[in-house]
Amino acid sequence: MKMFKFLVTAVLALALTWSLNHKWGAVPPLGKFLDPFQGFWKNAESKNTATENALSLAGLKGEVTVQFDDQRIPHIFAENNHDVYYTQGYLTAKDRLWQMDFQTRFASGRLAEVIGPKAIEIDRFQRRMGMGFGAENMVNTMMQDPEVAELMNAYAEGVNAYIHSLKPGDYPIEFKLLDYAPEEWTPINSAYLLKLMSATLASSSNEFYMTNILEKYGPDIVKDLFPDYPLREDPIIPNGTAWNFKKVPVPSATTTTAPTATAGIKTKEKDEVIGSNNWAVSGSKTSTGLPMLENDPHLDLTLPSIWYQVQLVTKDMNVYGVSIPGAPGVIIGFNSKVAWGVTNVGSDVLDWYKISFKDQSHKEYLYNNQWKATKPRIESIQVRGSETITDTVYYTHHGPVVYLENQKPKNFNKAENIPSGYALRWIAHDGSNDVKTFYMLNKASNYADYRKALTYYTAPAQNFVFASMDNDIAITPNGYFPLKWKEQGKFLLDGNNPNDEWHGRIPADQNPTVKNPPRGFVSSANQFSADPSYPYYLHWEFSGYERAHRINKRLTVMTKATADSMRALQNDNYSVFAENVLANLSAGVNAQTLSAAEKKAFALVSSWNKFYNATEIGASIFEIWQKQLAKEIWSDEFGDQQNLMRYPSRDRMVELLLNEPNSKWFDKVNTTQKESKNDVVTASFKFAVDSLTKAYGPQSKQWQWGTVKNTHVPHLAKIAAFGSKTLFTGGSKTSINATSESNGPSWRMIVALGKDLKAYGVYPGGESGNPGSFYYDDMVDTWADGKLNELVYLRHTKQASDRIIATWKFTKK
Amino acid sequence: MLFILILLLSLIAQFFLPWWVIAPIAFILAAWMGNKPSKSFGNGFSAIFILWACMALLHTLPNENLLANRVGQVLTSSEKGMPWLLLVLLTATLGGLVAGVSALAGAYFKEAFGKRRR
Repeated sequence: MKMFKFLVTAVLALALTWSLNHKWGAVPPLGKFLDPFQGFWKNAESKNTATENALSLAGLKGEVTVQFDDQRIPHIFAENNHDVYYTQGYLTAKDRLWQMDFQTRFASGRLAEVIGPKAIEIDRFQRRMGMGFGAENMVNTMMQDPEVAELMNAYAEGVNAYIHSLKPGDYPIEFKLLDYAPEEWTPINSAYLLKLMSATLASSSNEFYMTNILEKYGPDIVKDLFPDYPLREDPIIPNGTAWNFKKVPVPSATTTTAPTATAGIKTKEKDEVIGSNNWAVSGSKTSTGLPMLENDPHLDLTLPSIWYQVQLVTKDMNVYGVSIPGAPGVIIGFNSKVAWGVTNVGSDVLDWYKISFKDQSHKEYLYNNQWKATKPRIESIQVRGSETITDTVYYTHHGPVVYLENQKPKNFNKAENIPSGYALRWIAHDGSNDVKTFYMLNKASNYADYRKALTYYTAPAQNFVFASMDNDIAITPNGYFPLKWKEQGKFLLDGNNPNDEWHGRIPADQNPTVKNPPRGFVSSANQFSADPSYPYYLHWEFSGYERAHRINKRLTVMTKATADSMRALQNDNYSVFAENVLANLSAGVNAQTLSAAEKKAFALVSSWNKFYNATEIGASIFEIWQKQLAKEIWSDEFGDQQNLMRYPSRDRMVELLLNEPNSKWFDKVNTTQKESKNDVVTASFKFAVDSLTKAYGPQSKQWQWGTVKNTHVPHLAKIAAFGSKTLFTGGSKTSINATSESNGPSWRMIVALGKDLKAYGVYPGGESGNPGSFYYDDMVDTWADGKLNELVYLRHTKQASDRIIATWKFTKK
Repeated sequence: MLFILILLLSLIAQFFLPWWVIAPIAFILAAWMGNKPSKSFGNGFSAIFILWACMALLHTLPNENLLANRVGQVLTSSEKGMPWLLLVLLTATLGGLVAGVSALAGAYFKEAFGKRRR
């Protein structure tokens, strides 16, 4: 009996201990997780952090001093290049290790290793898109440049010095929740993170939808509805700027018809995910007499913050700005002489080539009417709690065949716009040395340095805005732009035909650029780089012109501009789109058909001030109204579920509404009666009122745009409790403040150059990546209120500042 | 005595060893010096309950329970979450249970093998 009691309790004790040390599905190992010695409690940071600290680290060459300001932003003072990047790596890892690990895993297709079978498809996708291929090429190129190799290696050393100092109890909380451990950092991880930027910003593709439209409606309608230059535009390089170069020859277009697309993929309205702005204003228009520069890059917002603020100081460099957690240097920022920023260029750097394989072995494919060998690349995906999966991807000289016929997964939305049986030619696969551009900008002191730095940049192409103490301002849509014939890549291309391939690149010094234009400012908002007088083809479509137009209009009339006038402009919620169509739409509503509630809403929206401010109810009505209107007009003709297509642009819809009221496109082809423009305008207005009433009850404060928009910042791994609360903010896709539900300005910066340089910035998050830190989201409210923090720019180590709260000394071990 | 020893030894060991070290500590100490099984359970349970509760409070109070509140939301998968103090009690109870049951097993071990050999 005693024996029995012992056995039962012993088994019970073992079972209890074991089960609390085991991960059950999404539930972390509870004993391990709740253990107050090494579990999550240990991640709870005190409000009062260490003010003095001395660390000795193996690998440092000299002494490093780090000053932390009141937002825990490190200001790193080192004696040499190696130590400054080493320390940047160390401190970034200290604040953001899990984010660095998780994003690298996401980019490289290694998520299933830690989260199990549900990540297999996303891992397979990243690998089939050639992320590994691209990152390997990039790291090979970078490592051939001794200067860049030094900083990549130093950064990795610093990250590893931090990782090696950790015991399991010190791991960031997400490692504990997901129950895995960080691993050694290598420079290729940095390459993965940089490639991820290309994947986010330069991987959209429409050729597949366009090919279907071409087939169904023919070239005339394509030309009419999908023109190569919009009807309303305000390009980055001001109209009429002269091109002072000799154009290199471009081959003539392939005249044979484009290959046909394969069916079977769901269509999706292309969403404008980017809404970045930047500008620089010449000293002739500012209160200081010296240039001011603004930048707000828009991305899908996440916590921990996408960016990491840092100041890096050596004998020949003193730069402040935001870095990518996981890559050395500053991406957007300023030093004492220059400031720069970036927005995305929507140039076409991704094309699809139809591949004819010789047989089912996929060993050979037809190119220039001859058989050419493919190179298989074996990807093996480790899966937590399951067997490793191997996947063979066939590479042509164009690039990988992302999905062979019948290989594409169903119901996997990332793959929706990918044609099966096509090879991917993508700039992100090329070896590149983009880090060098930022390294040189970090040390730049004038316009010539800026121009030189840009020549090293490949992708994702960016509009590099620039300002200097010499009172120069400039902007350059910059990157590797493939040399193409007009409309090359607007439709699917033929992998057999050499004329369909990229014909080298537009010479780097012939990328569109402008310096000190007469209007006294330069700006960009993702719109067309240049008007049609630019002699090369970049793309047939860019983001709408509305934000750019508003910026230019406001900057034109600005005189004696201050940092605060810049701040007001970056928070401007005015919609040029609403200005273009609201009166026209209001005139189109058949007032006698409206109910009392609809009349009330109509009175409100037709007198709306066209500002997407958080408190505006008109904005909510208009937003749903115009969205539904686009659907009413186009979905019957371009919403085919078999042969996938997309809608014409907003620009084309505006033209239709204003100048083609009798167009056939207003009629719904699937009904017997004939709908007029006013019919669809009225129907979509009623829809808007109806859906607001359904969601928020009868018209009230609940209809305010800030409530309807529901802006928030989600956690990177979608752990709800680690995301932000809902933020009551304004903004829209067609406003300068292009904030939507969870996409918006990932960093806002204003720099007023001068002897007494002033800079301001904020991101929707904080410096720390730890949800248990007071510095995790301390900037969120400031961001949501449209305010900025003054940035602490220290000229030397001993500069006194009442904003410095801690000083750490690093010495070599 | 058993109570104090489990508490102290666990406190020291937990700085170096994984959390489950509390199980063998409670087992061995109870097998060696435990008396009545129910009392051993009580000693093991309360020792770790108090140790873990104190440690959790030591971390969460200077943090103003910021993280505890977030984790409460994670564990309940709800925006409402749970009061941070409840999470402290849950933590302490789980640790207490592991140590208590292990001490109980230790006491039964002593009853089954100890007397005969001594």
